[in-house]
Amino acid sequence: MTFSRTTAVAGIASAAAIGLLLTGCTSAGNASDDGGDTELTVTTFGTFGYDDLYAQYESDHPGVTIKATNIDTGGNARTDLFTKLAAGSGVSDVVALEEGWLGSVMEVSDQFVDLNDFGGADIASRWVPWKLDQGTDADGRLIGYGTDIGPQGLCYNAPLFEAAGLPSDRASVAELFGGDDATWEEYFDLGRQYQAATGKAWFDQPSFVWNSMVNQLPEGYYTSDGELNIEGNADLEERWGWLTQGVADGLSAQQARWDWGGGKGFVDGSFATFVCPGWMLGVLQGNTESGGGSAATGWDFADVFPGGASNWGGAFLAVPATSEHQAQAAELAAWLTEPAQQVAQFEAAGTFPSTTEAQETLAADATPNEFFQGAPVGAILAERAQGVEAQFKGPNDSVIQENVFQAVLDRVDTGELNAETGWAEALKLTDELVDQ
Amino acid sequence: MSTLLTRTPRRAQPRRRSRAVGIDARPGFLVYGLLTAILLGSAYPLWWSFVMGSSESSARGDTWPPLLPGGRFWINVGEVLDSVPFWLALGNSLIISSVITVSVVFFSTLAGYSFAKLRFRGNTALMVVLVATMAIPTQLGIIPLFMLMREWGWTGQIGAVVVPTLVTAFGVFFMRQYLVDVIPDELIEAARVDGASMIGTFWHVALPAARPAMAILALFTFMTAWTDFLWPLLVLNSSNPTLQTALSQLQSARYVDYSVVLTGAILSTIPLLVLFLIAGKQLISGIMQGAVKG
Amino acid sequence: MSVTLSRPRRPRATKPETDAAAPDRASPSARSPLKQRLSRLDVKASPYLYIAPFFVLFGLVGLFPLGYTFVVSLFDWRLLQGQGEFVGLDNFAAVLGDRFFWNSLFNTVSIFVLSSIPQLVAAVLIAAVLDQNIRGKTFWRMSVLLPYIVTPVAVSLIFTNMFNEQYGLINNVLGALGLDPVMWKTEQLPSHLAIATMVNWRWTGYNALILLAAMQAVPRDIHESAALDGAGAVRRFFSMTVPSIRPTLIFVIITSTIGGLQIFTEPRLFDPVTAGGSARQFQTTVLYLWEMAFFRQNFGEASAIAWLLFLIIVGLGALNFFIARRISSAESRRATRRIRRRLAQLKGQPADRMEDHS
Repeated sequence: MTFSRTTAVAGIASAAAIGLLLTGCTSAGNASDDGGDTELTVTTFGTFGYDDLYAQYESDHPGVTIKATNIDTGGNARTDLFTKLAAGSGVSDVVALEEGWLGSVMEVSDQFVDLNDFGGADIASRWVPWKLDQGTDADGRLIGYGTDIGPQGLCYNAPLFEAAGLPSDRASVAELFGGDDATWEEYFDLGRQYQAATGKAWFDQPSFVWNSMVNQLPEGYYTSDGELNIEGNADLEERWGWLTQGVADGLSAQQARWDWGGGKGFVDGSFATFVCPGWMLGVLQGNTESGGGSAATGWDFADVFPGGASNWGGAFLAVPATSEHQAQAAELAAWLTEPAQQVAQFEAAGTFPSTTEAQETLAADATPNEFFQGAPVGAILAERAQGVEAQFKGPNDSVIQENVFQAVLDRVDTGELNAETGWAEALKLTDELVDQ
Repeated sequence: MSTLLTRTPRRAQPRRRSRAVGIDARPGFLVYGLLTAILLGSAYPLWWSFVMGSSESSARGDTWPPLLPGGRFWINVGEVLDSVPFWLALGNSLIISSVITVSVVFFSTLAGYSFAKLRFRGNTALMVVLVATMAIPTQLGIIPLFMLMREWGWTGQIGAVVVPTLVTAFGVFFMRQYLVDVIPDELIEAARVDGASMIGTFWHVALPAARPAMAILALFTFMTAWTDFLWPLLVLNSSNPTLQTALSQLQSARYVDYSVVLTGAILSTIPLLVLFLIAGKQLISGIMQGAVKG
Repeated sequence: MSVTLSRPRRPRATKPETDAAAPDRASPSARSPLKQRLSRLDVKASPYLYIAPFFVLFGLVGLFPLGYTFVVSLFDWRLLQGQGEFVGLDNFAAVLGDRFFWNSLFNTVSIFVLSSIPQLVAAVLIAAVLDQNIRGKTFWRMSVLLPYIVTPVAVSLIFTNMFNEQYGLINNVLGALGLDPVMWKTEQLPSHLAIATMVNWRWTGYNALILLAAMQAVPRDIHESAALDGAGAVRRFFSMTVPSIRPTLIFVIITSTIGGLQIFTEPRLFDPVTAGGSARQFQTTVLYLWEMAFFRQNFGEASAIAWLLFLIIVGLGALNFFIARRISSAESRRATRRIRRRLAQLKGQPADRMEDHS
């Protein structure tokens, strides 16, 4: 029984540790200034496609280094942001905000700088007006520069369509779903037809379809006056009925969202359609690739969406009041949201721009996207953005979306709840989780 | 019986064993079979992670998992290093765990010695208080601690992780139990008679005697600090993480690429694995001694 | 493993009167009253000085936060907006009337039971196997302890992957064997089993070593005598080994209760998208506390949850402690008696009488 070695190791480690503690306790982990070099931290979520832009900005601005963090989902990013806001530190110099939790951010908008103080007013004309309004708080302070919006088209897997005897080229698929008059009823009917022919599911899991349906309405979980608007909302109930019927008919592949088995679900033919806001294109591609797939897997993007124009999601870049480099952070945020960069972001991640100029560029651009079977993704999204309007987002919009409806739909998906019990559970959960 | 006769007498307790009749016979294949099964159960999840971490992620869907590693381990290691600040996290974890270990071991020995060997008013009463606090789950104080760290402006810095665990009631109790028996009162008396001050006595008499127990306490404290997750998750951020929080980020960064996640799990295990291979014997006797002693 | 407090033996040397004389003997020339007074002060104050750092630090970072948690729980207190109105015990009422709180308690206890009982049984068996006269002891002990060095986060990542419902190793293998896949995440009991598996994998070997130490503390001679009298290995295991390790078993149970009721990492990482499953089917209480504080941003109610969980753990801990104390003292008396009896028997009586006993 000898302890000499452990003791010796412990001794050395402790000597080193004490030395490090003296420095470690006082030096912040981020944002350290030495000799004029500025380190800007940026936190994004989902798929932002900023990596190349960071590199470009760094080379254009010697002395600035960018340290980027990306969080998987909007929900986790929201928790992260609010924990850091509460901690009073740790929020990145530039932080991405999701449209869905803008409502709760606006309640503490004084924790972010007014970008108008940093030249925001001069560039305000960049954005489509509703996006600019969304990023402005009740006192007229500009909290966030818009990055992207989420016009929705329909992703579908061409080989699976073919195998089921459905048309598989983009134009015919758009036609199949009803073109400009596409409806959800038609979407689910086609699903049942597909399911009968192949025995396979139509969509990955119901909650994304539901998000699309809700975001399509002029008013979602809240009225435009900020009143909660779920109970007795005929529009929501009708859509709930369509969707839960579809699940009951076996149209859902019961995949785990944001996981899809590490992307496998996109590759193995589990489901044939997928609702695609612009930013989702990057998610789909990334997952397909990490699941071992490629362009040859056959995902395509059609210029059609059930129920008409829909906008799901979109983001903003904000600078927290705690940032030690507010001016430089605001400058970076402004640069990242310039039309040219928005186009570059679109090319990297499929996120559809929120500036008029960038939208026009994409509308005129028919560059085929290799992954999506050569679909002119930009032009299609520009088309899908026609008629999109901002929906009012209440303070608990994202809680209702994620902790109420997604949670309940997961249970509907497994058959634990049905249309009626699920709706009742959703109302009950809303009541319990949302302080009114 | 022949096995008994050929046994090497170097083994522990040879005297007693050599008299043994039935109970110390070399066990048969059944026992070794069981041991091998246990070994497989212990090692397979790690091996599987390594195999998957070195393969294309598409290998994950295969009905029967491959048994041998693929060639992508270093590529995936690169991915891990790209996705999270691995070296910073490793350094942070080392600093945090070392500082906590030194602090806990030192203060525990000091207080444990005082409780075990010194006479003062309230000794027993304070010791009872201490034992009672051992059962208190102090981790549940995270909300005020979180507010406290915000007040001090320490969030985001590793000091915020270190401070709440600088002392533990268990450590003091453990050292006291050990020192009560191990230091003869006469030794302290002799030191005092020679004119040593109280701290001198502690330094020259108690500390050397406490060393084995300090080593055990250090091992456990280090492991506990190293594996902590909830608290660093709350007070640190992704640009200045510990190894554990950085590792969890892998699962929540971009698309969940399971080969990369598993590579990260393996990578984070390597430092302790190396330590285990070097000092495993000490760790085992530490656990076994701690069990008898604590 | 005794948790009893023996009073420290009083070191005679530290009695003040002896002490005052001590420096004199060491250095007769320094008979200054100042030195004497200093020395007396040293003796009086040092014990307190040595325990002070512990109590001060522990009070600041251990007890104060717990107490303050109670204060926060009496207010309407939000993560961002901070302290609001005083609401008395409303937060407690809200938590006690909250089905998710009870759900989380049920999950916590269920996971705890699933992880402690099989784990103890397995640990005892593994310890018994290791207690055999095997070759390569250190190697086998290390192999048992290997999972302990894998951190809970890494364990969670590995097993979450294995338990993946549609593409995980375990369901793949079940499928290959022609069995139905198990819904490890969506269904309650399977999810508890999966999480318990993570805990068990990491801790079984560790506890086996603790129990092995207890087994080896049983005097060999007794085993030998019993064996001489024809008691088989299995019989000896149940009638001699198991009773003698009972105090250690109780210690293991107490420590795993305190830790097990605060399980967070495994359920948090088992499904990183939700906090404990869509139907909260594996949301533990600490995870619910986390959700309440940092997702729903309600510090008041979160503090009430923390305080209630604190009461439960302390209550269970105290219960455990008293039961353990009673059992272990009764047990050790009985064990001593039994061993004495047996030794006496062995000396005076024919061996076949052994069969009638125990």
